[in-house]
This record gives sequence, structure tokens and C-alpha cells, in this order.
Amino acid sequence: MANAMLSAAHGFLWAKGLHIGKLNSASRPVAAMMGKPDVLPFPGAQMHDHCMTVARVPAHKYYTDAELLVSTQMAVERWYSMDGYIITYDVYNYEVEALGARMIYSDNAMPTVDLAHPLISTPADLAALRPLDVTRGRIPMFVEVVRLVTERAPGLLAAGMFCSPWSMMCALMGYPAAVRALRRQPEFARDVLAYEENDVILPFIAAQARACSVKSFTGADAWSAYPILSLPMIREWVLPSAQRMRALGKARGWNVSAASAAGDYCEEDPDKFDKQILFECLDVMNQNPIMNMRMAQALMGRTQDWDPHWLVEYARSRGGRSPLPIIYSINGRFIRDVKPEELAERVRGWIDVMGRDGKFMIGVGNIPADTAPLNVFTAIAAARTYGKYPIAADLSKVPFELPRFPEFDTWLKGQPEEEVIRDAREKR
Amino acid sequence: MSEALQRLKQAVIEGADDVAAEAARQALQEGVKGLDIVNSAIVPGIQGAGQLWKENQYFLPDVVMAAEAFNAAMAVVRPALGAEGAPKTGKVLIGTVAGDMHNLGKAVVIAMLQGAGFEVTDLGVDVPVKTFLDKTAELQPDILGAGCYMSTTMLSIKDILAGLQAAGLRGKVKFMVGGVPTSQEFADEVGADAWGKDALDTVAKALKLMER
Repeated sequence: MANAMLSAAHGFLWAKGLHIGKLNSASRPVAAMMGKPDVLPFPGAQMHDHCMTVARVPAHKYYTDAELLVSTQMAVERWYSMDGYIITYDVYNYEVEALGARMIYSDNAMPTVDLAHPLISTPADLAALRPLDVTRGRIPMFVEVVRLVTERAPGLLAAGMFCSPWSMMCALMGYPAAVRALRRQPEFARDVLAYEENDVILPFIAAQARACSVKSFTGADAWSAYPILSLPMIREWVLPSAQRMRALGKARGWNVSAASAAGDYCEEDPDKFDKQILFECLDVMNQNPIMNMRMAQALMGRTQDWDPHWLVEYARSRGGRSPLPIIYSINGRFIRDVKPEELAERVRGWIDVMGRDGKFMIGVGNIPADTAPLNVFTAIAAARTYGKYPIAADLSKVPFELPRFPEFDTWLKGQPEEEVIRDAREKR
Repeated sequence: MSEALQRLKQAVIEGADDVAAEAARQALQEGVKGLDIVNSAIVPGIQGAGQLWKENQYFLPDVVMAAEAFNAAMAVVRPALGAEGAPKTGKVLIGTVAGDMHNLGKAVVIAMLQGAGFEVTDLGVDVPVKTFLDKTAELQPDILGAGCYMSTTMLSIKDILAGLQAAGLRGKVKFMVGGVPTSQEFADEVGADAWGKDALDTVAKALKLMER
């Protein structure tokens, strides 16, 4: 079922009890979000560095060659048998690089902005900046990435991307100076945001829209997670900016979702975990919902130390008679550091608490570069073993064995991406 | 406590760098010794901000601005401290690893370490392994700290430790790691002496390392 809308309808009907045919990697996530699928899906993740490391391709080529970037991630995600492709990249860099920001390129890591030399320190710096020229820097490469993704991995989640205004402000000014502007020079901060929204992001989105049929665009905004910003600051600055971007997009026929995950609860210290603050964070996220769908979302935080009952309580309290879907992401450092046996047990526990009633998805927030593939395979296998609906009454009695898998290079033989990946290695 | 010192402490807590610098100047003009200004106002100020952070009353913007106010006040007082020969808790050499330009966490850590009496030399960002090694040999710090903020750049921490070992420096310096992608497990895996979870944790562990 290649058509995204048909897959969505199939998943929706399945969740409502109409079990026609078999769910696939496109319809299963929909069924999981709306009700109970056949088995829990395990979607792709933010894993561009990890894919580069697994495939052993050099960073300077991987982050400058659209074909290599897309092919490598599609191959690695398929090797893991994830449900649907999620292709990611150094999304915070493209616009500021094209505006003239100094970048550091290396052989082993993604490019990074040199914040020792910020593009904007004063209002005069801002006044000197021109609107984004979409022929500069790696913007043409980025547009090609979006085109390839929409061509090869179409689906409901296929969207263009951009760096959201607040995170872009951090990349243009450096976080301390950006915070200072919000607190001490609000007029200046408003001018920076207006410049980004109108003169940078809109042309960037337009370039993507011209190159492919995509109409939805998502703005990454890691700098607006909690407590990187306080909730009052998110409400005062980030959400209004997202609303402006939404309106600008709507006027042009696009669905523009800026400030994706603003308010994501990323408190690092378990001693500071606070249910009330978590609930407020989730409320903020639901003021600016991804795909217009209210959820109980745990994305990049230290979720392994959360009480999963809190998410269930939130989903019930805010959903009324129909609890909100829960999206639960395994923390990146946790999946890297944990022993696979413990990981499987933890996945079992999370499904036991959060997955029994359906409307539940589990995945990984991000997969660090050097994560052992066994851990990723284990998380997926555990989700599929313990996540079969109806969920077993006593999950501790469900047998589980650590997965066995072919080495990536063995698996790669004969895959459509083999030549691109091997060629990139040879030309290091 | 004088009015200037009270104002200085409050300015550091509230992250008002201009007020903090002005109050520090006023305290010096009133004849307060540099070390007394640091111990009675600047350090309690940054510690106060840290305490509010621990209590979920302060967020990263508040902490960063408090660190900036701390630095502004310290810049005023530092010449006086040098003249007074103020005692040091220890020497720390710190930098962000190669390929990584992130500076935010390191800046807060440096402020907190200085607040605890450490003499800190900042190597900056995008620091090659060789520079870490050369500067360790040259400055002979008690603690070498390496920060990394990407899961790719963090891998060069292993190279720094291997380089220290090869140069015969490993036994002469304590090694700390920190940064978003790091963890206690990672620190254990690479053989670091301590992992700094955040700025406050880094200071507490640095002080413990000095006791060894």
C-alpha cells in the first residue's frame, strides 16, 4: 500500500477493530497512535551520526552529498528493520552557513557552527545581513535531500525541514547572547526573529517546495526544550513565533510547524524530576502539536529514570474519555550505555505500564554514533516481542532471546545502496 | 556586609553583569580586599544561583546569566587577587575537543570552578588532542577536563587519554569528562577519573579529586 493516505486509512480502520489485510510499516504507526496495532511499530530515529558510523563513510562526504546521506540512512534503517524511514541531518546548520557563518568541518563529525565568531552581536550586524540566498552553502544539497526523501520514502511523515527561529537565533548569536537579547533587548530579539522568519526560513521553505511536492515543513528546535528555556520564556517567545510561521505558511498553502518539541522535558537530574513541571511541559507541547495531534510525548529527555505512570496519568487526565496517545522515546545515552539484557527488561516494563491499552509508540530519541548495533536490534526485538497485541497478561513469562543479526557489510551486499556506500569509503 | 557587597551578591544571583561589575568596583574602592569580595559576595552569588537551579526555580538562561555576572565581577577583582596572592584550590586545564565548537556548558563550569577557588586555564573550543597533551605537559594542572557535545567528537576523548598514557602524563593529572553525550558509563569505559554531570557536580567532583 504505497499511497500514504491509504496507509493512514488502513491503520485507522485497524485501530477501530476493522482488521483488513496486514499492517505494514506505513499503516502500523497510524494504528498504534489511534488504538491497538498487531504489534508495536519501531520507527526510525534521529540517527544520522550513527548511520555514518555503522556504514563507515567519511563525514566530509556524508554531510555534503545528498545521495550518500540518504542512501546510508535508508540502508542502515532497513538493516535494523525499522518501521518506516526517518532521514535526519545537521538541521541546525544549513541556513546560518548559507548566511555566512563560519563552520568547522571534520572527518569524523557533522559540521558545526563556529560560535566563537557569531554572525550577529549587535543590531548593526543584523541590519547588514541580506535575505537568504538559496543557491549558497549547502542549501542546494539540502533541497536535494528533501527531494530524495519524498521520492524514496513518501508517507505521512515526509516533510521538509528547517531550523526554527529560536534555535536559529542561538546559532546566529550564541545561546548566552540570544538569552540576553530576550531578557534585556526585547526589541532587538523581536527584530532577529522577524528577520529569520521572513527573510531566511520562508525562502528556505520555498526552495524546498519548488523542488518537490512536499507541503509540510517541520522546524527543529532543540534549543527550546526545557530547561534550556523556562516555560514562561517558551510561551512568551517560542510559541508566538511558531504561530507566526504557521500563518505565513498557511498563506502560501504550506503546513509549517515551527518549534517542534518546544517544551520537551529534558531535565537531566532525577532528583529534580517533578510531575507538575512535566505536565506543564506536555501542556506547552500540546499548544503547538506536531501534526495537530495532542499527545503525551517523551522525546529527548532522561526518560529511563521517569516514572512511566506519570505519562499514563497525563494521557488520561488530558484526554478525558479518550486518553491521548503516548510517544515514548528511549534516551540516546541510555541505549548506548545500557547492557542489552537490561534494555530488553526495561522495554518490557514500559510496554507493561504504557502499552496495554494501545495508543502507544516506543522508539529512540536519538542514537549516538558509537551505539552498539546489538542494543538497537535488542530494543526493536523487545518492542516486537512484548508488544504483540493483545499484550500478554504476564509479560515476564514471554520468552525473549537477544537477537542475532548479520554484520552490516554482509547484509549490504546486493542492496540498492551498496555501490554508493562502498564508493564513498574508497574515496575517503 | 556592606551595601556594595550585598548588591554584588544579588547581582550575580540575578545575572545582572553590569551591576555586578559596578558593585565590585565600588567594594574595591571602599577598601574591601579582593579575596573578601570573592568569598563574601561573588562566590555566594554564584552558589545561590546554583541552589536555585537545584530547586527548579532557575533554568538554564538564569544560570548562564549568573555565570556572566560572575565573570564580569571576577574580571574587576582578579587583578587585586593576584596582588594579594590569594590561595588556590588547584589548577584545572579545560577545553572542548576537536571538531566541536560548543562552549556554553564549559563557560558555566569554568565560572563555578573559579568560584570554588580553582585556577582555570581555558584552551577554548575545537582543541586538537596534541594541544591537550602539550599544554598538560607545560602547565602541569591537577585536573585536565575535556568537554564534548556530540556523540562523534566524544570519541576523541579516548585519544586524549591514550596520548596522556603514551607521554607518561596519565599518572600526574586527574582526568574529567563532561558534556551532553557523556555519561558515567562512558567515563568508566574510557578510564576517566570523574564525570561531571553538570557544573555543580563537576565542582564537587573536582574538589574530591583534589583530596586524593
